[in-house]
Amino acid sequence: MTDAGSGPIRPAAMREAPAVLLLLGFLPSVVVAVRVVDALWMAAGVLLVSIGSAVARSLLDWSSGSPGASTVGQTARWLRALVVSSLLTAAFEAALLAVAPAASAALGIYAPLVAVNLLAVGTDAASPRPLRAALGALHKGAWYAAGLVVVAFAREVLGAGTITLFPAGGFGGTIVVSALLDQPVRALGLAGGGLLCMGYLAAAVRAVSARKTGRST
Amino acid sequence: MSSARMAWLASLGLLPAAAWGLLLFGPPAAAVLVVSIAAAAACELAVTLPRHGYTLSDGSAFFTGALVALMMPPAVPLYVPAVASAFGILVVKQTFGGLGRNWMNPAMGGVVFSFLSWPGLMSRWAAPLGSAAAGAEVPPLEALRAALAASGPRDVTPLGVLGRAGYPFSPMDASAVGWVNSHVLAPLGAALPQGSFDILVGHVAGSIGATCVPLVVAGAALLLARGVIRWHLPVFYLGTFALLSLVFGGLGTGQGWFAGGPGFHLLSGNLVLAAFFAAPDPVTSPLTDTGRLALGIILGVLTFLLRFFGSLADGAAAAILLGNCISPLLDRWLERRKSRVMEREAA
Repeated sequence: MTDAGSGPIRPAAMREAPAVLLLLGFLPSVVVAVRVVDALWMAAGVLLVSIGSAVARSLLDWSSGSPGASTVGQTARWLRALVVSSLLTAAFEAALLAVAPAASAALGIYAPLVAVNLLAVGTDAASPRPLRAALGALHKGAWYAAGLVVVAFAREVLGAGTITLFPAGGFGGTIVVSALLDQPVRALGLAGGGLLCMGYLAAAVRAVSARKTGRST
Repeated sequence: MSSARMAWLASLGLLPAAAWGLLLFGPPAAAVLVVSIAAAAACELAVTLPRHGYTLSDGSAFFTGALVALMMPPAVPLYVPAVASAFGILVVKQTFGGLGRNWMNPAMGGVVFSFLSWPGLMSRWAAPLGSAAAGAEVPPLEALRAALAASGPRDVTPLGVLGRAGYPFSPMDASAVGWVNSHVLAPLGAALPQGSFDILVGHVAGSIGATCVPLVVAGAALLLARGVIRWHLPVFYLGTFALLSLVFGGLGTGQGWFAGGPGFHLLSGNLVLAAFFAAPDPVTSPLTDTGRLALGIILGVLTFLLRFFGSLADGAAAAILLGNCISPLLDRWLERRKSRVMEREAA
């Protein structure tokens, strides 16, 4: 059911069916990532839950007396990860509602899907040591969050002609790109446009990685 | 037949419809055509020249640009056909590996992208040559939707709805329909509704290359005669659509079953142009005749649903994109079925 050891935790169906991974993992984020500010909140949620979940599972392993060698079965490990992630996601959702109700309303039904997101994209990796687990989750979660923000930036600029950030002082929180405001490319605001942006981002990352690998060998 | 020859023949097939569009809508339509083809060619060159050399001679970029332009409204801002062609070439075609590897028709991808991105700009129609009356700049299909939405179902045909709504058909239409009715149909106890002549010859507002269906069919006849496309897909596509329009189309206008005016719907919008020049694209349609036949039926159903129950006035381009998604599945399913039958026969 899951990968062995400290690898990414994903159900086999997700590993073997990329479309399922895409739908479950990316679609909630892609739907939310229409405005930069929403993507930033979603990214914060992914990072917090990812780090918290990795540390909590690491501590659970440590408390069982054999860090690094899980005493529970693989199916149970996956379910445990789901429970921990869900609890942390619920905590994040409640905190968001208290701190930023507008952001909570904007994320809507997609905020609770952070847990599914983490399992699907495989950022929720277990590590025998809590600090290392936290750093690993931070590393992977940061890349995911950065990708989400880049996609949201491209979609909002091209698809709405604005860049929405946090209001501060005299700054109202929205930068207007006047050239695109009147007739933006609305298709990029749709879920399909988001998947398109994400696909190109993934392709760019893969191309850069391949080039780096080619240089090093 | 080489793919280059097929693409250039297909472009030649677009010529009658394009010429009529240019005559009807004048310089703005010419500008759309030039910009669309130039954008497609520029994007093709930008991507392929550094890696594969000069590929414009294969004609596919030219055909994509021309087809995109012919599906555009004549008064659309020029950046819309440019972006549509660029989207078709860069995203739909070159991203997936170039000619022969795209799983979606590039021109239809660009057109649907434009519809989704700029729905308002994609409705910037223009009155045809010689029609200065108010309302002549609205295509009949959109005028029908507006009339039905404004006053609900009426107990008449689509052209009857337009007539009652005061759609400005040309004086030539009145003369031609009057002559046919009095000299040919009156003895038979039948009569053509007002607007039949304008709709048939394409003297109405609409996309640049889709108003005159007889000329589109004349261009398609060249493709059929030269074996560029096979008849199965377009015939079953249009046949299924016409049948569904006939059976169910009348429900929306209050006429009941089997009174939907399929002729009006076949002669309106981009349907026939898309059915002959986009749907049978050899790259994105099934490989077998049975598959083409099946896809034709599926496209007919999808276009009917999108046009009669969807928010898009036309629906053909979106239906073809959806059909492109299932083309490989049709091929795979039919291959498996064929191999099973052969196994049974061998046993």
